[in-house]
Amino acid sequence: MLEVANISHQYANRSHWLRRIPPTPVLNNISFTLEKGCCLGLLGMSGAGKSTLGNIILGLEKPTQGQILFEGQDLYRVNTPTRHRIRRDLQVVFQDCYSAVNPLMTAAQIIGEPLDNYEKLTSVQHKQRVKQLLEQVGLRAEDGNKRPHQFSGGQLQRINIARAIALNPKLIVLDESVSSLDMVNQMQILSLLAELKKTHQLSYLFVTHDIRAAMTICDRVMVIDQGELVYQDDMHQSMMQSNHPAVQKLIAAILPEHPSERIVFDHQV
Amino acid sequence: MIKRWKAIFLGQKAIMICSILIIIFFGAALLAPWIAPHDPIKVNLLQKLKDPSAEHLLGTDHLGRDTLSRLLYGARISLGFATVIFISSLGIGLIIGALAGYMGGWIDSILMRLCEGIMAFPNLVLVLGVVGIFGPGLMQVLLALMLVQWVYYARVCRNMVVSLKQQNFITAARISGSSSWKIIYKHIIPNIQRPIIVIGTLEMGWAIMDISALSFLGLGIQPPHAEWGAMIHEGTSYIRSHPELMIYPGMFILVVVVTFNILGEALSEKYGVKRR
Repeated sequence: MLEVANISHQYANRSHWLRRIPPTPVLNNISFTLEKGCCLGLLGMSGAGKSTLGNIILGLEKPTQGQILFEGQDLYRVNTPTRHRIRRDLQVVFQDCYSAVNPLMTAAQIIGEPLDNYEKLTSVQHKQRVKQLLEQVGLRAEDGNKRPHQFSGGQLQRINIARAIALNPKLIVLDESVSSLDMVNQMQILSLLAELKKTHQLSYLFVTHDIRAAMTICDRVMVIDQGELVYQDDMHQSMMQSNHPAVQKLIAAILPEHPSERIVFDHQV
Repeated sequence: MIKRWKAIFLGQKAIMICSILIIIFFGAALLAPWIAPHDPIKVNLLQKLKDPSAEHLLGTDHLGRDTLSRLLYGARISLGFATVIFISSLGIGLIIGALAGYMGGWIDSILMRLCEGIMAFPNLVLVLGVVGIFGPGLMQVLLALMLVQWVYYARVCRNMVVSLKQQNFITAARISGSSSWKIIYKHIIPNIQRPIIVIGTLEMGWAIMDISALSFLGLGIQPPHAEWGAMIHEGTSYIRSHPELMIYPGMFILVVVVTFNILGEALSEKYGVKRR
């Protein structure tokens, strides 16, 4: 469904008129495919280029090289109406649930925005759909009249998820979607996401640095480090035996039940 | 002590009182033809420079025109034109600022350099320049003031849009399929409204001052029409014998401008807006 082919990307630095600052490379020759109904975990330390890759896949940032094929169409080479059409199948849930919603809008308006843009619904149908979406993500229909400051982080993230699934998309990029939540909420949101995946036949690109969260929900994981794809596998087990330092660092970051049980690799102090 | 005064002057009460006062000023200006006791431009030399009486509540000027009526009609010019300047420069500034902030890149650079160019001149000098080119008259003054005032809105608006653009909900709206215009209209403008209201209120006071100042210099409204600044100017010849001819319009300008300023300060306190 999604094919990422040889993506390289670099951020241009604002050049000084006397001296040129070379661009900063972020991604280097990354290729992978994501099948329908699959949840692909994209792991990496901060600054590894995960979010940039997420943005490129969402069509927000044109990569310096390579192409993104979504259902056979190159996201950056199609004309504007086609791109508008493709965009409805590609949605996102951000990490920071507070900044991802307009503080002045009600929950119903937030969830209704994609519907306004793509579907011609009567106001009754619109209300019905928003209510249905709220219930699907575990909120009550009355919550639609509340504004973002009246919700907790977990509830806000549910609203973000409702907005993302409003158009029945095919792929949702979960950009660290659970990282800013506490443990209990993380688990609840993850199980909600797993359930929605089943009911809506969704595919996820789960961007995270938390291996445990990735293991709960992902079918497949890949690790990027400093812009390079360093590990890619279906099996979680083989990951534990990987000897790449970036993978080991991620594994070492798992919080054990007791500090003494922490996994420490040889080269780490 | 200062804190208590500050609380009174900048609290909810101040907002209420100032709003009521402003409504009264505008009401008086709108209703001038019905509540003014005399024709403001009717000359009656037999009645000139009269002291206040039952017929002329604030006396008459050097041509025997009723001062109160002239003040009320003058309010129409001062407040009316200040409102026009306020709305039009707000509109221009908001659109240009939002465009510059949202688009970024060279559009932003060009528009902001233009703003800086205009800001580099002292306001009054620029206005005098425009009036010098097009000749005196209220329309020219209006145009000139509009030309200098939109810059402030544009700058503030641009900076706020730039910081708003970083917020994820703008990206989320784009992903939801909203067009740029829809994002500006639905997400950006509602979120920058409050600071704009505060600046607008403060700028309104300036607009009134500027119109009066230019009329005082004889560049704005032309005689025989009444305007506060022009009335002060006419009163200068009688400053020794009849200082009230200058004091009344001066007082009106003072009260209106101070009201707008207190309202602006109180609103900025309430909304927590930092002023430029």
